[in-house]
Amino acid sequence: MIGVISYLVFFATVASILAIAVLGLNLQWGNTGLFNGGVVAFFGAGAYGTLLLGGTPQGDHIGGFGLFYPLALLGGMAAAGLLAWVVGILTLRLRHDYLAISTFGVAVAFENLMRNAEGLSGGAKGLRGFERPMREGLGDGFLYNIVFLVVVLLLLWATYRFLETLVGSPFGRLLRAIREDETAARSLGKSPSRCRLTAFVTGSIIMGLAGGLYGTFYAFVSPQDVLPTLTFQIWAMLIVGGAGNNKGAVFGAFLIWAAWTVSGWALSRFAPIEAQLYTGSIQYVMIGLVIVGMLLWRPQGLFPERLVVSQSSRKKA
Amino acid sequence: MMKQKSGRLATKLSTAIGLAMIAGTAAAQDCTTRIGAVLPTSVDWGRPIAETAQFVVEQVNEAGGVAGCQIEMVLRDTQVDPKVGVDAAKALVELDGVQLLLGAVSSGVSMPILTSVTVPGNVMQMSCCSSSTAFTKLAEEGKTGGLWFRTFATTGVQAAVGAKVASDQGYKSVAILYKNDDWGQDLNKLIAADFAALGIEVTAEVAINDGQPSYRAEVTSALAGNPDALYLGLYPNEGTAAVREWLSLGGTQNMIMANSLKSDEFRENVGLQYLGNALGTDTASPRVASADAFVALYKERFGGEPNGPGLSNSYDATMIALLAMEAAGKDATGEQIAAEVARVTDPNGTPVTADASGFAAARDVLAEGGSVMYQGATGNVRFDANGDVSAPAVVWKFTESGTEEVEYLSLTQVDDFIASLK
Repeated sequence: MIGVISYLVFFATVASILAIAVLGLNLQWGNTGLFNGGVVAFFGAGAYGTLLLGGTPQGDHIGGFGLFYPLALLGGMAAAGLLAWVVGILTLRLRHDYLAISTFGVAVAFENLMRNAEGLSGGAKGLRGFERPMREGLGDGFLYNIVFLVVVLLLLWATYRFLETLVGSPFGRLLRAIREDETAARSLGKSPSRCRLTAFVTGSIIMGLAGGLYGTFYAFVSPQDVLPTLTFQIWAMLIVGGAGNNKGAVFGAFLIWAAWTVSGWALSRFAPIEAQLYTGSIQYVMIGLVIVGMLLWRPQGLFPERLVVSQSSRKKA
Repeated sequence: MMKQKSGRLATKLSTAIGLAMIAGTAAAQDCTTRIGAVLPTSVDWGRPIAETAQFVVEQVNEAGGVAGCQIEMVLRDTQVDPKVGVDAAKALVELDGVQLLLGAVSSGVSMPILTSVTVPGNVMQMSCCSSSTAFTKLAEEGKTGGLWFRTFATTGVQAAVGAKVASDQGYKSVAILYKNDDWGQDLNKLIAADFAALGIEVTAEVAINDGQPSYRAEVTSALAGNPDALYLGLYPNEGTAAVREWLSLGGTQNMIMANSLKSDEFRENVGLQYLGNALGTDTASPRVASADAFVALYKERFGGEPNGPGLSNSYDATMIALLAMEAAGKDATGEQIAAEVARVTDPNGTPVTADASGFAAARDVLAEGGSVMYQGATGNVRFDANGDVSAPAVVWKFTESGTEEVEYLSLTQVDDFIASLK
């Protein structure tokens, strides 16, 4: 029984971390209509930034500043924000698929940089030497994972509240206005390009937070963690959950990550022994079917966006 | 020691597990011990590694199982994604209660499993194929808790023997193409240093990324120094593509290959006629019957030679881990199993072969408190304090039907040669 709880805590931690990243993407895509195809670069910047700032010194690369953990995490978020700011200034004039392609390129470049810049990131063998915060007091076991889950859940809740407030504010209305019709927004004297950049950087900082927590949880990050698969996974979570709805984003993260892991577990448990070797491939097919089915029959996601016209109609919420 | 009544029953290997389980529940053995395996079964070269591990489990069950219980290997796919691999490992440890975890292949997956699942959970982890030097460092810092082992000889052996081949062949200059991952980067660094120590000029060190449609740019820059020979630290897929371009651009056919290219696929896709001067290196089987037995067993079971990367390593990893489980006795914890690894790979112990009868022989010796020397598919495997192995080495070349040995270097020769490079 304790094993089941211990696994569920572990599962919930990873799912919550991913949910934070999905919330970040929801601000960019769901609310502002920015097609970010390079989620993993900002996630990775957060992870690498946090581990470099908070780690212990290693012989073969920079970093290991051993910063107080919350500072390291903020540093990771700042790294993601800085990257987003630079990328945003360069690419946000692009629209839709062009933006997607260029941000995807940024993510691939980021992965290759981390793989090759050994002096910066430890290269392909990854970044080690990070001590998880408060490990002395809590040990490495179940208790630690519980405490860590609580911290992650608090941050998830804080992110959720922040975004709900943000999209409910006049600024949120402006973001949606830009998403729906940029020219109309401009005609009202708004500056779409600045708003787009603000939303892009804010969303990326949130992804950086997720990345920082992810790196902290494993006390390790390597270029294998920042492959394009992760971008795809986070997008799948948002699409299934419902773009434009923060509840949907969180729910989608838990649902897709559960599908991803439970299908693997169930196949290993129930598939006949001869089929065991092929469960990996079967799993890919199943996950693909879920997403395609979702797009065909419920493209708005499980929790569709609720359009709020004015403050008064929000009174109940 | 439990008497096995069903030893004969499960002789048909193809149905060994199923039969053994039926036999197990029917009679003396009414228990099953689960072990976990996290391997990239959705990747082409990962599936045979998992098959080989399963094959060992079949044989051990045929020999009566471990500590009187049949072994069930629960296999999970990593998708070469650290998140997925770690989750699978966590599920195996917490939900299936395994005390022994085999895997993973990629160091980038094995490492987070080690730091966030097996070490905190006191579970023994044995990898067939992770090669990163980072594990050695982690073990030196005492952070693996003695729970980590790998049967993949550290890249140092592979690099040293590759350099020896170049020097024996009289090559004065060599260009290096290496896979751009942790293994390839380590290998490149080590072999470039070894070449330098032997006075061989390295004209280019070029990283090859996976999955590119063409490697023309990389190959051209490797050609620029006009080297006597080409060193290939690549896997079959990108190796085939890169070598084809290399040859079509007029590069030399003098090639030295790492063991990862020891594959039929590579030989067929490049063409044997171009590989006449290509020499490969590998960690070797010892000159004992058990190594041949592995090849024979493998051929009988799978109908082909064990030519994929990591197969013999996977075989030995699984077998040693199960021997250690046997030595540790029933219901042993991961720590207890890990502590027994030394007793089943003792150079002064009774030699045992790497098959069902060897396992049965080992059981008798271990039951009397003795120690055994496991003679496996990759040699007389012996782990150092960090869970790393050294091994004898072999130089090989391709033939019509597979590969053929050119030269054999015993463990002492390998160690002496490595020492002479320092």
